[in-house]
Amino acid sequence: MRLVIAKCTVDYSGRLDAHLSEAVRLIMVKADGCVAVHADGGAYKPLNWMNAPNHIREYEEDGELRWTVTNEKKEQLTIKLHEILSDFTEEMGLDPGLQKDGVEAHLQELLAANVEKISAGMVLVRREYPTDIGPVDLLCRDVAGIAVAVEIKRRGEIDGVEQLTRYLEYLNRDGNLRPVSGIFAAQEIKPQARVLAEDRGIRCLIIDYDALRGIESNELKLF
Amino acid sequence: MKFRCERDALVEQLGTASRAVSSRGGALPVLTGIHLAARDDLLTITGTDLEITVRASVSVAVTEPGEAVLPSRIAVDIVRSLDSGAVEVEVSGEEAKIVGGRSQFSVRTLPVDDFPVLADPSGDEVTVATADLAAGLKQVVRAASSDDARPILTGVLMSAEDGGLRLVATDSYRLAVRDLPDATVLSEGQKVLVPSRALDELSRVLGESEEVRVRLGEREVTFNVSVKDGEVQVTTRLIEGEFPNYRQLIPSSYPNQLTIGREPLLEAVRRVKLMARDTTPLRLTQKSDCVELMAVTQDVGQAHEEVDAQYDGDELTVAFNPDYLIQGLEAALGDEVVLETLDALKPAVLRSSQGGDFLYLLMPVRVS
Repeated sequence: MRLVIAKCTVDYSGRLDAHLSEAVRLIMVKADGCVAVHADGGAYKPLNWMNAPNHIREYEEDGELRWTVTNEKKEQLTIKLHEILSDFTEEMGLDPGLQKDGVEAHLQELLAANVEKISAGMVLVRREYPTDIGPVDLLCRDVAGIAVAVEIKRRGEIDGVEQLTRYLEYLNRDGNLRPVSGIFAAQEIKPQARVLAEDRGIRCLIIDYDALRGIESNELKLF
Repeated sequence: MKFRCERDALVEQLGTASRAVSSRGGALPVLTGIHLAARDDLLTITGTDLEITVRASVSVAVTEPGEAVLPSRIAVDIVRSLDSGAVEVEVSGEEAKIVGGRSQFSVRTLPVDDFPVLADPSGDEVTVATADLAAGLKQVVRAASSDDARPILTGVLMSAEDGGLRLVATDSYRLAVRDLPDATVLSEGQKVLVPSRALDELSRVLGESEEVRVRLGEREVTFNVSVKDGEVQVTTRLIEGEFPNYRQLIPSSYPNQLTIGREPLLEAVRRVKLMARDTTPLRLTQKSDCVELMAVTQDVGQAHEEVDAQYDGDELTVAFNPDYLIQGLEAALGDEVVLETLDALKPAVLRSSQGGDFLYLLMPVRVS
């Protein structure tokens, strides 16, 4: 990551022409080639930016440093650096990515590790069970050995029921799995989604995320 | 379809049925609409979100029988905005005309064929005195949970108890139990879990009628009530699942008993609650001849009040969510109530000092 604070003017030409007159700005050049020009305000949105892949050329013209940033669509950002106040580079390494608490992947992971919470005697066959129309979140066998496809959502809405219905239709074509029943599991399930699921013989399951994580509330409760 | 009726009657019944209409149709946009069926000088208005269905009927002068689905909110707003007097509704093609006085509206209808066909109620009909049921629902329904994460707690348990009917609801912080000894709705040992939202809607229409007709089907329950302008029918799916075993939480005796005037305590709690902001609990210190109420909110202030009472037990401070305590006191019967406690962390019981058919179990709040 290279961070340059400089008094600069910026010109963009491409889908339209735009000009940023002379001012002190932060120019951010990321390792993947993204270039963003920021003012000292606003949360995240740069004044101007070019997404990678870019070609960046640094050169001098009329005694001033210039950068031209060009992408595959021939859009071009020209930055005239009148005075450089700071120029800092740091190797940041690979980013592990954003991990959101409570997202479906974590719910899936927790439920896969605790399939007996779905139903007593349930065993996990596989997480992300592959099918030609996409992976089923969990494929399990219940206590009677019947295959059960589990679709996990944070918020259970009709789209999720439709998705599980498609998986069930597909899985039930497989003679080795047939009959396959369905469980629609979510932290909350909308009434319409519940009605649709139950109408299609799909069981609805509310996931208590805190309980799955083993977190006990400090609140006193009757149940 | 074409009919004519009084605006006041129509607005009342439209408003009642529209309360069950889904705010977002989801996969079935027609569910945002209200179904009108006019025949034999009777208009039947139906709103549903597939979980709760409210059907309200009103006498009208039908010129041309038929049915239509109108966008619920706009239809209700239009009729409500009209002056009292005759209203005429005429539907032709995909347009409904609503005329009242010198006002005229035309509204695009929703496809009537998409509206779900709702099954007629099943099960034998039994009747319950409206006054009993209304009082019971008022005391119990508010204790039910509104959190869909635990759907069973969003229901009110109706169970047969000693030949009568018992209503039980809990949100896991408090539990309300009301016995209706004269209401024979269920057969011995039978119990059903009815969505509290449906019972809330039912409570709204229980007015001047003397009795409620109840039909219990395999998966749904239907309540019929005669109202001023016609008839209202509330049908709801039953909640499947096992209601928590609440009986085990009610000890047969308590070492500490506070006997106090219901109204003076209620008023004092309301006053002291003014300083119990957000989740701040209200502390009750029970002494031999009084109870001290106190609420402290950091950086805001505190409130303190003493109320005369008769207390039998060791001096004990116990804290409650003030809203839950207020609701329990409002629901309790009689001039005097008894608050029974074991310790500061175990559920307390609130009931009338004369005994009676209502019990309110309230979980304390942990305080340092």
